[in-house]
Amino acid sequence: MNPKIPLDMIVNGNRVQAQIEPRRHLVDFLREDLGLKGPHLGCEQGACGACTVRVDGQIVRGCLYLAVQANGKVVDTVEGLTAQGALTELQDAFMRRNAMQCGFCSSGMLLSAAELIEQQPQATREQVREWISGNYCRCTGYHSIVDAIMDVLEA
Amino acid sequence: MELNGEQFIAASVPAVWRGLNDVAVLGKAIPGCEAIERISPEEVHAKVMFKIGPVRARFAGKLLLSEVVEEKSCSMAFEGSGGAAGFAKGRSRVELISAEGGTLVSFTTEASIGGKLGQIGGRLISASAKKIADDFFEAFAKELNPLASEISNGGES
Amino acid sequence: MKAAAFDYIKAQSIPEVLALMREHGDDARLIAGGQTLLATLNMRLSEPQLVIDITELAELKGIELSGEYLWVGALVTHTEIENAPLIKKYAPILQAAAPHIAHRAIRNLGTWGGSLVYGDPAAEWPACSIAVNATMVVRGLQGERRIPACNFFVDLYTTALAPDEILMGTEIPLANAKDVFSFQELARRHGDYAVAGLAAVAKKTGQALSDCNFVFFSVATTPVAAVQAQNLVNGQAVNAELITAAVAAARAEIETMEDITNSAAAKSHLVGVLLERALKKMLAD
Repeated sequence: MNPKIPLDMIVNGNRVQAQIEPRRHLVDFLREDLGLKGPHLGCEQGACGACTVRVDGQIVRGCLYLAVQANGKVVDTVEGLTAQGALTELQDAFMRRNAMQCGFCSSGMLLSAAELIEQQPQATREQVREWISGNYCRCTGYHSIVDAIMDVLEA
Repeated sequence: MELNGEQFIAASVPAVWRGLNDVAVLGKAIPGCEAIERISPEEVHAKVMFKIGPVRARFAGKLLLSEVVEEKSCSMAFEGSGGAAGFAKGRSRVELISAEGGTLVSFTTEASIGGKLGQIGGRLISASAKKIADDFFEAFAKELNPLASEISNGGES
Repeated sequence: MKAAAFDYIKAQSIPEVLALMREHGDDARLIAGGQTLLATLNMRLSEPQLVIDITELAELKGIELSGEYLWVGALVTHTEIENAPLIKKYAPILQAAAPHIAHRAIRNLGTWGGSLVYGDPAAEWPACSIAVNATMVVRGLQGERRIPACNFFVDLYTTALAPDEILMGTEIPLANAKDVFSFQELARRHGDYAVAGLAAVAKKTGQALSDCNFVFFSVATTPVAAVQAQNLVNGQAVNAELITAAVAAARAEIETMEDITNSAAAKSHLVGVLLERALKKMLAD
């Protein structure tokens, strides 16, 4: 009954092997088994975006992705992307624009914004707002976050 | 939510009344009914698995009849617990009216759904309830088919 | 909340999936994108014994030209549709609709087939599939069969797919230079479930539209085509008078359903608003 499934994947550039219960979702695995607290859990229903991580180069809702599905894939969290320097411009802009208060949404915001910048480098302010509408923020009122992302797009 | 309607069944009023009070018939007609038991003339317990879209919620429910007027009308109070999925509770009033070729079952229902199912499912609770009611009446009418021959044998009008 | 425990198997072939479905019946769920399934499991609104991962099945993938059709496999993600040059050329309404589906992270995993098979009343793909005259290709242990999209969505969350069948993908007739379209969706916030929506496709010659498909979603339990309005418009030059008549016809013929956002009357009103916008857009194109 419910045998554990073997996993072999890359997380933040490191090879990770484990045996886990199929029902464990990716963010629980990252946070609890690997100690990567960057991605957060807000709703566990895919609505809030705090759990956003990157799998094989695309953002996904980590709470709507089973850890076992990441077998053979490359996973990046905010920790790994920061270490790589992939988010530096965005992080600097966030700090300059005061786009982070409690920080709960920030990891998801950064991951989301990074994909927008890569996929739609000509994005307008309206398009930025639409893109990040899947990431809820309870503190900032969003304007400063949009400003920060526009700073990077317009740089 | 409210669910009100009128359903025509091609069977006599006595046959429909009997059917609505027969747990064997109800057990076959209620969509997803896994178990049903009459505890007393007024009380029925049932286990029902609700299947709507991706949802599979098993409810343990209780039905309590009151204000019973034989072959005419009754009130029902119901409550059900779906474990982690949520809970439901409500009241219903059912009236049987003789009509040409059968019976008009008129019902009014008021229910509240709470817990996860209520939060997430709230968007489509009314539509889901209506579908369950439609499916129930379709199955109920089929169960009554052998009894509907009462009408065609020149019994009721 | 955490999902209840289940077994997991990554299927390697269609016959394997079909055999597992036959063996486990409703105790097993298929996982493709998982964007609906996992939210449901996380909330314990469903507790299957077995989850069958079908993401490895090559026959369900791909966007390809296949003779006179565009093949869109069931496993194609919303993002893939959003970006594919073949979609832009041969089924452009899909590319207009894709950005309305939830948010990017969900679109990166969620699938064309998953949306079609769930048949959520507020979903974009069911209405779009009817508007483009798609044919669903399904396979079961008895073999393969084809179901036109207009016959696929039967009732609330109920499709013509049998419990032991799997959707392989869809065949979509190729749009050509005469095709015009308009995709309209109203939602409170970007990415929310639609309050009302319209997938409209037609062929245009001069100022006249023909072969019209006006398929509304989120106004009833299934997508619904405004047949009278279509008949009124077919073959006629589109002008203000015709638009008014078509709007009135659509409002009269569609039996709208209230939901948590709007009354049935409000939905009827929106049916007319969307049709007017769509006709004007198609006229201008």
